Amino acid sequence: MTRRTEALLVALSAAIAAAGTALVTATAGGDVVLDPLAAAGAHLAAFGGMLVALRRWSPDASRLLLPLVSLITAIGAIEVFRIDPDLGRLQRWWLLLGAGIGIITLRVLHNRGVTVLRRYRYLFLLGAFGLLLLPLLPSSLPLGGATVNGSRLWVRLTMGDRTLSFQPGEGAKVLIVVFLASYLADRRRALAVMPRSIGPVHLPEPRQVLPVLLAFTAAFLVLIYQRDLGASMLLFMVFVVMLFVATERPTYLIAGAALIAGGGLAAVNSFSHVAVRVEAWLHPFADYAGGGYQVAQSVFALSEAGLVGAGLGSGSPWLIPAAATDYIFVAIVEETGLAGGLALLAAFGLLITVGFGIALRATDAFRSLLAAGLTIVLAVQTLLIVGGVLRMLPLTGITLPFVSYGGSSLLSNMILIALLARVSHEEPA
Amino acid sequence: MKQSLHRVAVVLTLLVALSGVWLTWLAGDTASRYRDDPRNLRTQTGDFAPGAGRVLTADGVVVADDADGDRTYPEGVAYAHLVGYATPDERSGLEASRYGAMRIRTTESITEWLLRLGSDQGRQPRDVVLTVVDPLQQAARDAIAGQTGAVVVIEVATGAVLAYASSPSYDPNRVVAGTLDPEDIPDAMLDRVARRVLPPGSTFKVIVSAAALGVGATQDSSFPDAEEYLAPGAGSAIRNAADGFCGDGETVTLIEALQVSCNTVFARLAVELGGGVVGDAAHRAWFGRSLPWETGAVPSTISDPALLRDDPGALAQTGIGERDVRATPLLMALIASAVGNQGVAMQPFVVAAIAEQSGDVVERTSPKVLGRMFDGAVAAELLTMMEAVVSDGTGTAARVEGLTVAGKTGTAEGSGGPHAWFIAVAGRPEPEIAIAVVVEGGSSGGRVAAPIAARVLEAWRDLDE
Repeated sequence: MTRRTEALLVALSAAIAAAGTALVTATAGGDVVLDPLAAAGAHLAAFGGMLVALRRWSPDASRLLLPLVSLITAIGAIEVFRIDPDLGRLQRWWLLLGAGIGIITLRVLHNRGVTVLRRYRYLFLLGAFGLLLLPLLPSSLPLGGATVNGSRLWVRLTMGDRTLSFQPGEGAKVLIVVFLASYLADRRRALAVMPRSIGPVHLPEPRQVLPVLLAFTAAFLVLIYQRDLGASMLLFMVFVVMLFVATERPTYLIAGAALIAGGGLAAVNSFSHVAVRVEAWLHPFADYAGGGYQVAQSVFALSEAGLVGAGLGSGSPWLIPAAATDYIFVAIVEETGLAGGLALLAAFGLLITVGFGIALRATDAFRSLLAAGLTIVLAVQTLLIVGGVLRMLPLTGITLPFVSYGGSSLLSNMILIALLARVSHEEPA
Repeated sequence: MKQSLHRVAVVLTLLVALSGVWLTWLAGDTASRYRDDPRNLRTQTGDFAPGAGRVLTADGVVVADDADGDRTYPEGVAYAHLVGYATPDERSGLEASRYGAMRIRTTESITEWLLRLGSDQGRQPRDVVLTVVDPLQQAARDAIAGQTGAVVVIEVATGAVLAYASSPSYDPNRVVAGTLDPEDIPDAMLDRVARRVLPPGSTFKVIVSAAALGVGATQDSSFPDAEEYLAPGAGSAIRNAADGFCGDGETVTLIEALQVSCNTVFARLAVELGGGVVGDAAHRAWFGRSLPWETGAVPSTISDPALLRDDPGALAQTGIGERDVRATPLLMALIASAVGNQGVAMQPFVVAAIAEQSGDVVERTSPKVLGRMFDGAVAAELLTMMEAVVSDGTGTAARVEGLTVAGKTGTAEGSGGPHAWFIAVAGRPEPEIAIAVVVEGGSSGGRVAAPIAARVLEAWRDLDE
């Protein structure tokens, strides 16, 4: 793909964002001229800026990444604006901020490359822990935790009479991937040696696994304590899959699956809000007015989808609670139908394929594991929330990357893309 | 490392593809199962082709039809509260809840589209087939006409509603024609079967009896006979309806107390059982719970548990169905049906099927259990006791030749009251149908409501002839 095509595709997705926004202003409200212009402007500024930064500081980076992310973000921006114009406008600022941070990431890595991150790996681990612990701060502090929907996974920054909320779990995921990539690149040979065995199951030397296992259990406990099921599942699965990739030992996958099964059963039995979710997943209409309401509404929304959907702006996605965040995919399917839903999934599939391609071509273990880890985050997060809202899995609340409304999610995913792009730049020519 | 990475990449990409396959299946599955669900608010919006299906009774009488784009209601006032009306601006009743089911969408669902690929026949709007039987509905309507109240008949074994009449009524044809504005006639618009609660009075003694039977009493348990009962700490005493004793002036059994509807016994019984036991029995009988019903029902209520626990005076009044006890005729009929169905109440439903105009059934409603209101043994004793009420008690006016009727009268104080109630189960001889009748301001349940029930039960008995 030439540079011109890449720029053209980014411009095209900005045009899509503008056209879609114009289309939904009729039903969602908003200004028929200003809002589409703002949507296009924000999109062009964000991704154009990223494009320029890539040209300057990572000229050999993959040219497939940005057009895909730009398209996915455009679809999300339209639907979020359609469900709630105020959230849609706010999301534009988050997009600009996210792109800014992505550009800074590219600039910082310009001189010494991604390997510089290895030097600070324990700092990143510490940072991830700090972020994960933030929501446990008392709500009374200016920077304190907040409980939303029974989960204490938000941090609220109070400045005078204004508050800014963010989900630190989203930021922690990138930091943890960087740490794990670096740690596993060093230790993967030792972790792959399995001198012990119980029956047919081979086990590694405990002292090799222990530190990383401990760190992970701690992080996991914090998340469980905060009742952030989505982030817990995401981090755990990324951890397990990265261990498998680094060591090539299926033992880690089997152990991980067993832990998820066991942990899942324990969670259903000990947390009422988890049990309610499982019940709503299996029998949404049994408690229609109560716990099953959200899932039931999503079923109704899906029933409306058909081949091409109700049409942008013509559905009723706002009837689903949390339509702009957890259920954004269902909202998109309701309005754009099977065609729109499959197209969005295809875009994610391509993005994931591109990410793994970068990981496979990387020159050393760290770069390869970093690209793999970041791509696994994208893939698992997409599968968890899409599978959750489509009732393949119990719903674990997490954002659909680049699509759901959410500042912290958009910010961390832009950093993620910047890192992936940088790794692809460092491929052998 | 490249090998395992490759595997992970393939598996995760395949899982994304699998989500797409799943989505394709799910879109088809939900479209065929939930697109016309009455709870789906989207059924009432969207783009529909002109023309709509009919509403038919179980015996084939057309109660809503389509003529040149306007709805017509051949049976007029008789089905007004159940079927409702549909104008371009406003809908009510089944015309609202089954609006989408009776029309063709101009935006097709994926399964409809796929199914149509084989044959491109013009699609016809579908009909709604009711469980209501026309002669019974007309009998119920005639029996309550001219008075203010409601009659509802439910099939005990299934929960199918066989008759549903509320009075005063209105002519939906005039609403469609624009000569009648629903906002001008709130009293006639009110669905008194499911959306009006009144104190159930002595019919609530069935619930108090169930509470007593549930904790070990029998129909022969005896209680002191008194002219009045003063609950501990209560300001005023409760007297019997006829101002006197219920029996010989010494003791009465539970069955005798129900037969003559003895206030002093049930007030005392409620206080002795305690607020917890009475409250639980009421909760099991669906007081304080939302009742799923096609066109929407208001919940029946009772005082909150704290008041029943702390105020014996309130509890005594609750024991005779007064104070804060409020019930819809729909729930009272369900309670009667549970007595006749080994204690199990079925979920009431009125749409038997959605059918093509050719008569081919597209979707049939299968009966569902609402919940167990009484234990089996309790229900059996209640049935015996209620049979005694009709054979030799306050409900003798509800005797019907050829049927075994088990019922309970109620005369409830309240604004505009006293309201006359009668609830019953009847069959040949095993219980087959349940009925609830209420006449607002009708005074005596035994003299006013019970004869109305008898007329409707006779109509049911004569259906097959």
